[in-house]
Amino acid sequence: MSVFATLDDQTPDRFGSGFARAIGLHILVGCFLAVLAIYVPGHVEHWGENASTVGAIQASMVSAIPLPSNVTPVEKSVLASENTTPAPKPPPKEATQPPPKPTDILIKEKNPLKTPPKVAPVEQPAPPKHPQPTPPTTKAASGDAATQLPQAINQVKNGTAMATVQDRTFGTRYAYYLKIVSNTVAGDWYTQEADPTESQGKRVTILFDINRDGVPENIRIETRSGSPSLDASALHALQRVDNFGPLPAGDHITVEYTFDYKHP
Amino acid sequence: MQSGPATPRSSQHSRLATLALLLAAIFIAPALRAQDWFHLETSTGAGKLRLAVASFKSTSADPATLPAKAAFDETLYNDLSNAGIFDLVSKDMTPQAAPGGQSEIQLSQWSNPPSNAAMVAFGNLAVNGGRLTVNGFLDDAKNPQYPQIFARQYSDTASENNARQIAHKFADEIIARLGGGITGIAETKIYYVKQTGSSKEIWGMDYDGANQHQITHVGYAISPRISPDNSRIAFSSLGRNSGFQIGMYSLLLNRTVNFANSGSTNQSPAWAPSGQQLAISSSRTGNMEIWVSDAQGTSAHRITQFGHEASPTWNPKTGAQIAWISGRTGLPQLYIMEADGSGVQRLTDGGYASSPSWSPNGQFLAFAWDRKYGPGAPGGQDIYVMEIATKKWIQLTHDGGRCDFPSWSPDGRHLVYSNSPDGRADHNRIMTMLADGTQKRALTGPGTDMPNWSWR
Repeated sequence: MSVFATLDDQTPDRFGSGFARAIGLHILVGCFLAVLAIYVPGHVEHWGENASTVGAIQASMVSAIPLPSNVTPVEKSVLASENTTPAPKPPPKEATQPPPKPTDILIKEKNPLKTPPKVAPVEQPAPPKHPQPTPPTTKAASGDAATQLPQAINQVKNGTAMATVQDRTFGTRYAYYLKIVSNTVAGDWYTQEADPTESQGKRVTILFDINRDGVPENIRIETRSGSPSLDASALHALQRVDNFGPLPAGDHITVEYTFDYKHP
Repeated sequence: MQSGPATPRSSQHSRLATLALLLAAIFIAPALRAQDWFHLETSTGAGKLRLAVASFKSTSADPATLPAKAAFDETLYNDLSNAGIFDLVSKDMTPQAAPGGQSEIQLSQWSNPPSNAAMVAFGNLAVNGGRLTVNGFLDDAKNPQYPQIFARQYSDTASENNARQIAHKFADEIIARLGGGITGIAETKIYYVKQTGSSKEIWGMDYDGANQHQITHVGYAISPRISPDNSRIAFSSLGRNSGFQIGMYSLLLNRTVNFANSGSTNQSPAWAPSGQQLAISSSRTGNMEIWVSDAQGTSAHRITQFGHEASPTWNPKTGAQIAWISGRTGLPQLYIMEADGSGVQRLTDGGYASSPSWSPNGQFLAFAWDRKYGPGAPGGQDIYVMEIATKKWIQLTHDGGRCDFPSWSPDGRHLVYSNSPDGRADHNRIMTMLADGTQKRALTGPGTDMPNWSWR
């Protein structure tokens, strides 16, 4: 007789009714837990659902259909509304006297007091011109500005985006192009990608070149904000842009783009 | 030693019960996973460019100037508002002035309320001795130091249609300059099927519904597909003695040209972006499979092998992938594969999908989908756009009746599709909309179907 038990000796069979009962019990426990989870705490909050605490990255399409965003018009502002406004009232008619009827008798008015005769003014010699001290040129006028004023500003949800071209004459001459660049990037900046508590009040500056065809190149961070998610969201905004439109002049321009995060 | 007893019935039953419970456990598990969410909010509030279109100044006393000017003004305004990228100053807020040139325009009038425009398009138009000349300018109203963005001069023989075409050209130039380098669609065409009685022919029209004219005269022609170089239209035609065959109509020669067909049914042609290849669904080997041939129909080779394959469409950006509808698993679903037949991927997970169209930037597929297909289900076939990289989709039409045959515009911002508001086939008309589902409008009357937007 062998020391080891043979298959014959084992009753019941390995995967027999006992095992089936064990699985059944596990499923029952699982169902009980599911029931507890669903009904006991009430509303189950899905991760990232609460819109006011926009923290987690909400799912969004990786690429965008090349249409600009629709800004809901502020109804109170007459100019932004899509509804036609009523025509403004015509200017009030000036009150005019009716013309005199032919049968009216004209009443002579008394002569007004005689005005004193006008006396020609005596010519005064002009005061001698002394050299005046030149007023000191302010820094803003001389161009030595410590901070460059942004040439295009966009308000976005949870922040502000500002663009400046390093070649200021380009920015002045072709301000419309910079406005297009600013609008395009601001429209592609998904502020939900930045963690709100960490990025609050921070700003990141991105530097990038635009070549002759309008393609952004050489995207790099100039000043980090200290919030990696804000930096990443700014870089992604630039990466989403395919083309700004051909440059109106020149071979390439360098644009400094600043993203300010302000969650209300 | 006793040999093992023959497996008793109770043991067999308990094994089956175990198997059943195991399978049940496996299938319950996925249902307990958290629901996937898809929240489509793109942005942030940058808004559209505010553009004012001035009435062009007529600078000649020729009586033909005024109707040409009316056609030009209206077409220019419509083209810019159809583009979908501008916030056009509405006509009642546009100043009445019609400046003819840089010296005549007062930018403050345009940049102040009520028009508040950032850009102004204006110019002058004249008809002199049968010749129409238009000078168009685009100014930046917020930059009084350097206002001019560009100036263009157009000249053509005087006619209302030419005035419209010049307006299309000027609008396209404005859209290209201000819209991120993507060319405008004002000069593109749409080809479609028009049914008169029992015959169906291919017709063509401008992208805004103007200039509708018949092209083929073969008796029964459907699914028109214009070639990428605008020279030929491939279509499926039903002959008297044969099943569906591919026909090829040359727009340069104004007649049908040769296409090598074989087998019983050949339909739904699709051009590769190179214009050198055509994908068709053909039953020459018995079942409907996708075949790829050259533009004359020769050198055809099969790239699918399961049968029930139809409606191919190429990736216009790379020319290396094909999306199509396959019924290999039952109801027709949307698939993509490489152009040689490898790398098959399924994109839809249910319902009844049909008529895919690949977007010009290669990232989206528009298709008609009846997600709740089946007896007793609400039904409703609508246009959906799916992002191929993430397989996320958005529904663009709803509650408008049966929609089908979407086709992308070359700028990737518009879609044209056929819609029947009450479901009846003879009330089908062609509608257009922006690719986010807004600005829907009808382009044709009833009796039209299967639109196809040209490539440029």
